[in-house]
Amino acid sequence: MQYDSIVIGAGISGMLAAIGRAEAGEQVLVLAKGHAATHWATGCIDLLDVGDGDPLAGVAALIAAQADHPYAIAGYAAIEPSLNRLREICDQGGYPLVGSPQRNLLLPTAAGALRPTCLVPVTMVAGDARQLPRTGSGEAPLLVVGFRELRDFFPPMIAANLQIQGFNAEGIYLTLPPLEGAADFTSTGFARLFEQPAFRAEVGTHLRRLVRDGGHQRIAMPAILGIQHAAQVVAELQAIAGAQIFEIPTPPPSVAGMRIYHILEQRLRTAGGRIQLGAYVQRGEAHGTRLEAVYSEAAAREQRHRANRFVLATGGIGGGGMRAIDANHLIETALRLPLRAPASRADWFFPDFLAQPGHPIFRSGVAVDTQLRPLDAKNQVVYTNVAVVGAAIAGCDHIREGAYEGVAVATGWVAGAR
Amino acid sequence: MGHLEDSLDQCIKCNVCMTACPVAAVSPHFPGPKVVGPQAQRFRHADQPVPDASVDYCSGCRVCNEVCPAGVRIAELNARARAQLVAAQGQSLRNRIIARAGLVGRLSSGPHAPLLNMGLGLRPLRWVMEQVIQIHRDAPLPPASRHTFGHWFRQRGQRRGLRQVVYYHGCSTQYYEPWVGQAAVAVLEHNGFEVIVPDQDCCGLPLLSNGDFRSAERQHRYNVAQLIPYVRQGIPVVGTSTSCILTLKEEAPELLDLTSQEVADVAAHTYDIFEFLRTLAERNELKTDFRAISRTLPYHPPCQLRAHRIGLPALDVLSLIPGLRLVESQAACCGIAGTYGLKREKYALAMAVGAPLFQFVRESGSDLALCDSETCRWQISHATGVTTKHPIEILAAAYGL
Repeated sequence: MQYDSIVIGAGISGMLAAIGRAEAGEQVLVLAKGHAATHWATGCIDLLDVGDGDPLAGVAALIAAQADHPYAIAGYAAIEPSLNRLREICDQGGYPLVGSPQRNLLLPTAAGALRPTCLVPVTMVAGDARQLPRTGSGEAPLLVVGFRELRDFFPPMIAANLQIQGFNAEGIYLTLPPLEGAADFTSTGFARLFEQPAFRAEVGTHLRRLVRDGGHQRIAMPAILGIQHAAQVVAELQAIAGAQIFEIPTPPPSVAGMRIYHILEQRLRTAGGRIQLGAYVQRGEAHGTRLEAVYSEAAAREQRHRANRFVLATGGIGGGGMRAIDANHLIETALRLPLRAPASRADWFFPDFLAQPGHPIFRSGVAVDTQLRPLDAKNQVVYTNVAVVGAAIAGCDHIREGAYEGVAVATGWVAGAR
Repeated sequence: MGHLEDSLDQCIKCNVCMTACPVAAVSPHFPGPKVVGPQAQRFRHADQPVPDASVDYCSGCRVCNEVCPAGVRIAELNARARAQLVAAQGQSLRNRIIARAGLVGRLSSGPHAPLLNMGLGLRPLRWVMEQVIQIHRDAPLPPASRHTFGHWFRQRGQRRGLRQVVYYHGCSTQYYEPWVGQAAVAVLEHNGFEVIVPDQDCCGLPLLSNGDFRSAERQHRYNVAQLIPYVRQGIPVVGTSTSCILTLKEEAPELLDLTSQEVADVAAHTYDIFEFLRTLAERNELKTDFRAISRTLPYHPPCQLRAHRIGLPALDVLSLIPGLRLVESQAACCGIAGTYGLKREKYALAMAVGAPLFQFVRESGSDLALCDSETCRWQISHATGVTTKHPIEILAAAYGL
């Protein structure tokens, strides 16, 4: 099998690149070690942490200040079209993303802090801090609702932390409707329950009673309100409860992130693309500066995959695209591309754990040229037919900068359009 | 301890496996791969009582391995934990029987097969079987064949070819579906191969998945001894039963900690038949004198094929047939997982696991589905009434064989 393009990694950047090329008529294969980034992250699209300001303006300033930032490489002109592309895909998947690149939203986290983000699923938008009831405003409190059976989501704590920030909130646990033989609950297990009309009707009725008694106009719930039909589930719960409902992302595994993965996966399959999970790419085979094939780990022997072009979307240190092989050396795991990283371990971290600029190690990655092609230490192109996208690119501390999804979307879109 | 146990240190407890496990999704008896795998493993020790018996509800489909971003061999850890459970608590009569696929097949096939098949179709008898040996009355048991594949092959004799290949038929082709092996031989011979069928035992997978490692090791050693002379001559081993082939390639050596050169050499030269044919196609050595088959068919790549981590070779090869279009199922597993879904206490669960696949097959409207694994074919046909064939049968038909 000779593919037109092989994409390594099935996070947002890899999937967008794959979709772009498949919809342009290419034969595309996605190789991924497993599920990761989408299943761990919030399911929101962070563009840049500028508080509740204008992230697009922030990106423009960043590009002017740092020429090797992934946003600068993708180019300012790519930012809005790439976000629109993702919105169009999610819209068609029945899971609209809302928000504006000119104004961040501030959404409560599962710890009750406020987190700036740019685009959010329609199921979360009613949580924007600008709309939440303030203490002393006379409005009924925000009701934060959870289930004791769901770990790592504590409504009283969320409400207490929101109160500290001047919001009127209270948190309660709902009693779970009687369920046959249920032993353990995960966020995914709950999301499957919310796909069942009888379950959500029962929860909705419970919420309506609470709304009637407490006058609440807004309810926060963990992001477990359905997998395939979350938008409808939330709409239905709102109709029954008689209040606005919004989801708060949970710690991993993130159902909200899984929804986006499923939508991207369907879109790619519809375009004729293939996905092979459990395919851990461990090396490449090159002829000069042309990558001919990659090899993935398999039973008894490696599998060889040939393509004309490749996209490396394996992520950064968090995603497994890079790792330390000993006390002093970082490697890029799939193709052993040269990395831009601090020379010695002493320079990986600042002594202060919570150091403000962020530890240098997290800005490590593959240096790329304007066509996203990987560069070596002398700025020579390593492979002419490889594009590097997402968190694998050097020069950005994606999470600290609040740019994790934005960089993935912009660079993935650019690679998909080429 | 080997690399299986080492791999559990890679677990970052991200719970991705918990979101994908098809058994945990439908059963309250199984808390999920992370819980019974990397988590419970911390409490397992050879000299200690087994901490959690729920690991027996792991079907071994390996979907957890497939989605794990850290490379933890969860399903294999679970298989070992089950073996420890069996070692501590003993094996049920039922599991002793169904794990011996070769013996059961040998006793079932032959001139008396029609009578036996008729008997297995009788409800009262199945009810008695359920009461006595705990095999669910509705579980799909394949009809045994009057003549074994081996009998057919010996009758016609080995035919000369330019290159040689060993065919590992496994128990299902030998005793239940000899036509699958006949199609494989026809396709290989059509492509110029001389097919060799050495004496062989069960691959040992049913024993491994029922926790009887000692018996499985005997079978694997026997098979390695039979296959190694050919492998040493550079003759590849191919098979149509994708789960047997996975067992030869990886599962047996890994679970049983067999590290000899012979075991490794056999593993390295053993191929799923479509993996083998795809390699031929990539070298332009596969004949493409296909007649058109203008059909659209549902295709389920079974979990046991996906566990090879070789992509979808049947899809790749069959895409060369003009007119034929395969629609890939995205279902995680059909539920049967070898002998798992035959068990009285697990049958309903296995059917629930397979429900999305059965819906996909029914909604395709096709009267024919394709799947590389025999027990999955039986399960799909049982649940949907749709005839399910091995992809090699379609390839043989496309060659006009």
